[in-house]
Amino acid sequence: MSEFSLYLLQQLINGLTIGSTYALIAIGYTMVYGIIGMINFAHGEIYMIGSYITFIVIAGLMSMGIVSLPIILIIALVVAMFMASTYGWAVERVAYRPLRGTNRLIPLISAIGMSIFLQNAVGISQGFRDVALPPMVTGGWALGNPADFEVTISYMQVIIFAVTFVTMTLLTLFISKSRMGRACRACAEDLGMTNLLGINTNKVIALTFIIGAALAAIAGLLLGLYYGVVNPFVGFIAGLKAFTAAVLGGIGSIPGAVLGGLILGVTEAMTAAFFPSEYKDVVAFGLLITILLFRPSGLLGKPEIEKV
Amino acid sequence: MNQFRKTLLGLSTAVCIMGMTAAAQADTLKIGLAGPATGPVAQYGDMQKIGVMAAIEDINKAGGVNGMMLEGVIYDDACDPKQAVAVANKIVNDGIFHVVGHLCSSSTEPASDIYEEEGVLMITAASTSPSITEKGHQMLFRTIGLDSLQGSMAAQYILGSAKPARIAVIHDKQQYGEGLATAVRDQLAEGGLKAIMFEGVTPGDKDFSALIAKLKKEKVDFVYYGGYHPELGLILRQSAEKGFGAQFMGPEGIVNADLAKIAGDASEGVLATAPKSFDQNAVNQARVEAIKAKGEDPTGPFVFTAYAAVEVMTNAMTATKSTDTEKLAAYIRANEAETAIGKVKYDEKGDLMESTFLVYRLHKDGSKSPAQ
Repeated sequence: MSEFSLYLLQQLINGLTIGSTYALIAIGYTMVYGIIGMINFAHGEIYMIGSYITFIVIAGLMSMGIVSLPIILIIALVVAMFMASTYGWAVERVAYRPLRGTNRLIPLISAIGMSIFLQNAVGISQGFRDVALPPMVTGGWALGNPADFEVTISYMQVIIFAVTFVTMTLLTLFISKSRMGRACRACAEDLGMTNLLGINTNKVIALTFIIGAALAAIAGLLLGLYYGVVNPFVGFIAGLKAFTAAVLGGIGSIPGAVLGGLILGVTEAMTAAFFPSEYKDVVAFGLLITILLFRPSGLLGKPEIEKV
Repeated sequence: MNQFRKTLLGLSTAVCIMGMTAAAQADTLKIGLAGPATGPVAQYGDMQKIGVMAAIEDINKAGGVNGMMLEGVIYDDACDPKQAVAVANKIVNDGIFHVVGHLCSSSTEPASDIYEEEGVLMITAASTSPSITEKGHQMLFRTIGLDSLQGSMAAQYILGSAKPARIAVIHDKQQYGEGLATAVRDQLAEGGLKAIMFEGVTPGDKDFSALIAKLKKEKVDFVYYGGYHPELGLILRQSAEKGFGAQFMGPEGIVNADLAKIAGDASEGVLATAPKSFDQNAVNQARVEAIKAKGEDPTGPFVFTAYAAVEVMTNAMTATKSTDTEKLAAYIRANEAETAIGKVKYDEKGDLMESTFLVYRLHKDGSKSPAQ
């Protein structure tokens, strides 16, 4: 392959890696919006909490003398998913459920408040500085001639693709096949009617928050390990990008969130590849606006029908 | 009735403020310490605090200034220009007239306008942006050299010692980082070395893989980075993972033990212009030991510049037997002072006459040694 196509391939891999993680976080936004029509701005913070818990568990296990990487990662994943789900559930219970049925703006403000609260609560208890973890999963494959241009794919990048793909498949199966998934879809279609038919909608909504938080925790673990750094503000930026991905793909649509995440990630990488990297956000968000002008409900979103 | 109430309220507030200022000036002199105590660059605020508190302690032990004991009051601006303005107003309202700070150039600049107007003497121990002293403020001094000096020092080193074939200049789009990066690029161009790339990254970003792939494709062998350690740490770490092995260089904003924590082995050998290690000065040895005894780190680049900032102020107070900021400013501008960072002499703008920077090589254990 020529140097140019190798370079293109490398940037595509970079973009897909970032895009996969946007997608994992975007699902949390899109599921909540699909069911209760609300933007959960504290979702990025749940991702950040997932990263912190991963770091704490890994540091704890290593200090206990456990060195087996798979064991550490599995324990960290389970603990992070459990703890983040607890946070997700608690946030819904405390800050959103009492406000359900009021003006749409009120839960939104409550969500922004929750986001700032969690950022600062974590900052005060864990410190506002970057916390770093030494590289855990190292190495990868290289392709091409080192003297020319060498494409590198790290094992961590492959893990990110694989985990994202498997998680998405499981989630799609859950939504389309299981009883609870059907209840979720029913709630998305008509919350009031589903309630009348004898389904506990509060339970379904709580479950949505728990699933979204668990996915955010997976993203928190993967990105925490990939970048090796976490601070209380990572959730804000990641959340903003993931939210954009969700809107781009069509908010409320799960495949849309995945597609939106991948498009956003690849657009960013390709812009940085051929223009000065400060134009990255200009092009990515320009694209968002353009798509929304032509498809106001996003790429895969259904046209909005105002719920009464 | 309403009018009367307002007058009464105004009067009582005025009495309160007067009372407060009177109390503050009785036997303790409050020194405001403005900088980030929270936020991503809080560790620089800690360095400033360690230096100021050590200086205040030493001066109080020696009997204070003009019979007054000093007291440091900490204000947190989180290195955010908006918060810096709020902090500056609060300092003015609290009746404090002597400030060490602010830390980040982007905070110092808006705050300095308020201090100038209110006659508050301000000495920054860390802000290096040249534009700060361009406005001709009379109340503003620094105990640290300018960005432009740091930039030319870096450019000289690159041209004279590093001699790279293909150089890229990257910055973080902030006043501090971009200012430095531009200075380095321009001076390299004057010296006949053209930067292949000149690009900004977004502060707070975590993924620099696209940028690194581009640097790799352009076969860059030297990168100058204008900015702070959180982003550079990640760039170094991701460069190592992606097999990009250029020499990196940055300003004193990257000189921090956290760089080694974030980048690990990849931080070994990174070059940086930093204030001279004043903790090595003979005059500071007892102070270094005292700071260590408190369990704090005396080696940060702003510890002794902050120490010196307090000394410059108290030295002028002793000489003029006054705390009047107009007199103090005039004295500081006209006279030399012997401080923790050596002889301090100011030009008309309130900048140091002599550069306080040196090129260092950073190590993966967080230490640094002078570069050859």
